[in-house]
Amino acid sequence: MSSLNFFMWFLVILLSKDSACERLHEQIYSSIEGGAACFRRLNGTHQAGCTSPLNGAVGAVHMISNISDAQWMIYNSSAGPYVAVVNTIVFNEVIELFMQEPSNVAGILLYENATERPEFFSPETQCPNENSAGSDGQCAGDVVWNENGSGLLRRDIPFPIFFLPSSRIQEIDKIIQCHDRYNLDKDNQKGRPLCSLQLSSFMYAAVNTAVCLRRSATSIFGIAIKMCDPLGDYNVYYSLFPRPKETAKEKKQVILVTARMDSASLFDGVAPGAASAVVGLVTLITTAATLSQMIPQTEAASYNKNVLFTLFNGESYDYIGSQRVAYDISQGVWPPLSPITSKDINLHVELGQLGGSLNLFKDNPNWPLYAYAPYTYTIPPQVTEFLAEMSSYSQTNNMTIESEFSINMPPSSLHSFRKILSNATESGELPEILLVDHLGKFTNKYYESALDDYDSIGYSYHNISISNDGKFIPTDDLIANGTMSENEAQVKIARVSTSLAHTLYQQIVGTAYAGNISSSAHLVDEMLYCFLRSQACRLLVAADYYSNEDTPPDDRPAPLYVGVAALSTPAALYSGHLLALLTGTHIQVNRTACDNIGTPGFSYYYLRGWNQSGICIQTTMNFSQAISPAFIKPDYNITSGEFSTWTESVWLGLWARVFVRAAGVGARVAAAAGAFTTILAAVTTYWLQRHASVIFLTPVADNGVIRSVNC
Amino acid sequence: MDLNRLTNEKKLQLCRWYFRVGCALLPFVWAVNVVWFFKEAFMKPPYNEQKQIKKYVILSGVGTIIWAVLLSAWSLAFQIKRVSWGATGDALSFIVPLGHP
Repeated sequence: MSSLNFFMWFLVILLSKDSACERLHEQIYSSIEGGAACFRRLNGTHQAGCTSPLNGAVGAVHMISNISDAQWMIYNSSAGPYVAVVNTIVFNEVIELFMQEPSNVAGILLYENATERPEFFSPETQCPNENSAGSDGQCAGDVVWNENGSGLLRRDIPFPIFFLPSSRIQEIDKIIQCHDRYNLDKDNQKGRPLCSLQLSSFMYAAVNTAVCLRRSATSIFGIAIKMCDPLGDYNVYYSLFPRPKETAKEKKQVILVTARMDSASLFDGVAPGAASAVVGLVTLITTAATLSQMIPQTEAASYNKNVLFTLFNGESYDYIGSQRVAYDISQGVWPPLSPITSKDINLHVELGQLGGSLNLFKDNPNWPLYAYAPYTYTIPPQVTEFLAEMSSYSQTNNMTIESEFSINMPPSSLHSFRKILSNATESGELPEILLVDHLGKFTNKYYESALDDYDSIGYSYHNISISNDGKFIPTDDLIANGTMSENEAQVKIARVSTSLAHTLYQQIVGTAYAGNISSSAHLVDEMLYCFLRSQACRLLVAADYYSNEDTPPDDRPAPLYVGVAALSTPAALYSGHLLALLTGTHIQVNRTACDNIGTPGFSYYYLRGWNQSGICIQTTMNFSQAISPAFIKPDYNITSGEFSTWTESVWLGLWARVFVRAAGVGARVAAAAGAFTTILAAVTTYWLQRHASVIFLTPVADNGVIRSVNC
Repeated sequence: MDLNRLTNEKKLQLCRWYFRVGCALLPFVWAVNVVWFFKEAFMKPPYNEQKQIKKYVILSGVGTIIWAVLLSAWSLAFQIKRVSWGATGDALSFIVPLGHP
């Protein structure tokens, strides 16, 4: 007997040998790794973005290579709903059809075409942040800034969308293999096993910000489920001269030099923003670094102007950062230590969208820039003066800059200042200039999209080492020794930065700059690498806290999406630390001493430094909250549209997997068998009860002993 | 409890009690009363207390129906109108739906 038992066990083990190491779940499903999901965001009145049903959206795989594939899927298919697998080239063509006829669309898996880029690809609207523009509008007249914008970022998409970058193309191969095996016979798909995709991106929030914040605050037995978080992070500001509490007499006028540092895309964790944000950001930091070398801080007392460099965060979402700064200025609380009023702003220069045309001019040294100024009749004198100086310095640096006087300003943080602060000034006019590289519509065809990466500005890294004292090789030397050419993005950005720094010098000092300090294309090269290719770069290592013992960041660029206010994202921290490292004063003290210095007007950071031995940096750089005034102002009417009200939904998990869906025959047989058994059991029971006397003996007459339970 | 084992007087007492308890906004007690005493009230051969039992059963039945109408009307109205009631609708909800209006 026991030997027979042993034999049976042996047989079982032998039969299950092949599948013993793999769980049934793994045999059925194959997970799609490295995908980024479209998620839901809400504003005061609407919801935008995607969600899947709670258990994910399931659909048969359908490969879309042209519009007729999409039409077949919508109108003629038999085994719907389907998950459309589309590449970035075809996406623009088919998405509108899917949006209009979503009933047969379970979801979309979008993958990046590695060999070819689409002509345009932008999920932003044609008039970005239109509703947050100043009273004079922004898309007035016949200028449509983002001509090819699909507006998906602001629309409610009725199905989930996942994005696979070109580095994950093997996942698509896997899906194609499965598709070709099961789904090729398009006319006979009904009732057959089909290769299917399951996309799960269920979003908790719905309707709009007001509803989801209200529901998040509602608690049942003290447990509230958070459904959404306001968007927000930190703004970064740095002043050329320290700004401790100033008396009215010594109060300096400030020149605001601003840029945005955030970008966006439909997908979680994907927001490269090369031309949308990074070029402007890098130009600003480089300019600040150059200017700080040209005018030593010790000369502060000699001049009656100061420069306040500010990087705004969350600008993609109705100008969160700049609205907050403008609002705080109107309330007299920004910057906290020594607040400015709108009267103190001598000039506001915004580095707008730069970089979109770098690729257009990659074969020649030109890079025409345009300075928008929102005036038609009376131009403030400081604007005219600045434009003249900037134009002349640009010429010296082989650049051209053309002035464009128009009330119709491209999307930029200037709109926030115009909207919130124009009433505060007597004339209602703020002296403002916007530097961009597009005249009229955007030259950036990938505005705020997953494809707005280093390729879109034609950037390639030179990987030149940095000396231990943090000195960067001057641009002219790099060109003279042939390392770089005049046509390269790094050189062009350095030239713009030099021109701007020299102009700012003249604005402060009052005389033309005669020295030979200029912005280094080497520095620009390194900084672009940090923001576009890899966070694990020389500059960011040097600018990191000495005490930071976290694991080094991944070898990929940090996404520039502003994220939720509750969690800080690295972009602001990186920018702030870079500003501190590149503009700050190196103080020769050790770490403990560095942490204990408290000179008013300064912050002290103990960073790793160029040779990573630690340096104490004295800086005027600081962070300020970039959370919309809508969430700060008491009794704010969230539907009024006055301030940004964007929130992001909470989700549990974002995942996708591929599997072969059964034909459904098995499930139908099981259901029928179940129903049959139930009915049979009921009939039998009824019959038995009716004929109980036939089967069971009649109990003897009641003798008082009751066997049933009597209650 | 087996009604057959009770005296008629006990039955009446029980039925009356169920009716009274149901008056304390407990329609399910009335519903139970109706089901439980239906046979006693309408199908058993007449006896002394049957008339009173019948009265309580009918009263309980009418109460149950009124309650049922009211509850279903409310439930229907709530399901249909919750979204348009906005904040009030959310305040009245015990479980707020995730990901839906």
